[in-house]
Amino acid sequence: MMPAAGSISSLVAVLWLLNVVLDTGGQLAFKAAANAPGDGLTRWLHMARRPWLWLGIGCYVIEFLIWIAFLSLLPLSEAILLGSINIVAVMVAGRLLFGEKLTRLRVAGILLVTLGVAIVGVAG
Amino acid sequence: MKHGWFYLIGFLLLMGFDSIGAISFKYAGMHALPVEANIEWLLRLFAKPWVYGAVVGYIGAFFTWMTLLKHAPIGPAFAASHLEVVSVMLLSVWLFDEHLTAGRVLGAVAILAGIVCLGLAESHEHVPEPAEA
Repeated sequence: MMPAAGSISSLVAVLWLLNVVLDTGGQLAFKAAANAPGDGLTRWLHMARRPWLWLGIGCYVIEFLIWIAFLSLLPLSEAILLGSINIVAVMVAGRLLFGEKLTRLRVAGILLVTLGVAIVGVAG
Repeated sequence: MKHGWFYLIGFLLLMGFDSIGAISFKYAGMHALPVEANIEWLLRLFAKPWVYGAVVGYIGAFFTWMTLLKHAPIGPAFAASHLEVVSVMLLSVWLFDEHLTAGRVLGAVAILAGIVCLGLAESHEHVPEPAEA
């Protein structure tokens, strides 16, 4: 079944949003998982007993499929640019959850990447 | 620069693996059309070799990145690791007959400028660790 033109673009938007959420969620989960104490095998066993590592892996597996679906519906040259928003989302989430610093240069970078993605999103 | 060649080859390798990953993903999707949220789509996807090419690209990129990070400063490494946006765009024109529209070129320029800013920000914030004895 081929969706109509209008529903293709809304499906693309949903896939794009899911990709950002899963990528950011996955990276934050891995960051939380990496906070495990000990080293070597003890550390890995500790990580395996807590949900963060598995949550991260789960996010990445689903993201893998979502990203393929997204790329099937858009030209690759457009999709790869729209995917750059992940860089921004991870930094903003890191600021909110882990209190990472946002310096002026970082804010400039975030704004420029967002602007670029917006231009591609609007103009194609 | 003593390690100039090491960095250059490392970053080109990283860009190569990332491009292989993105292009394999695109081929994987193209050969499994139409996109459906069901098991048939997954079976079509994993029956073709492309999806495994994507996995190889990502594993290669991961190990190249980890090796580079041992030696290269994080800021420039971060910026260089996102340059595959450019190589993938150019390869798309060649492989998939896509067009570099004004919107895409303008957007890519802004994104690249942003990535350079983020790379510079990383360089400023990370004090280099003392060299190992």
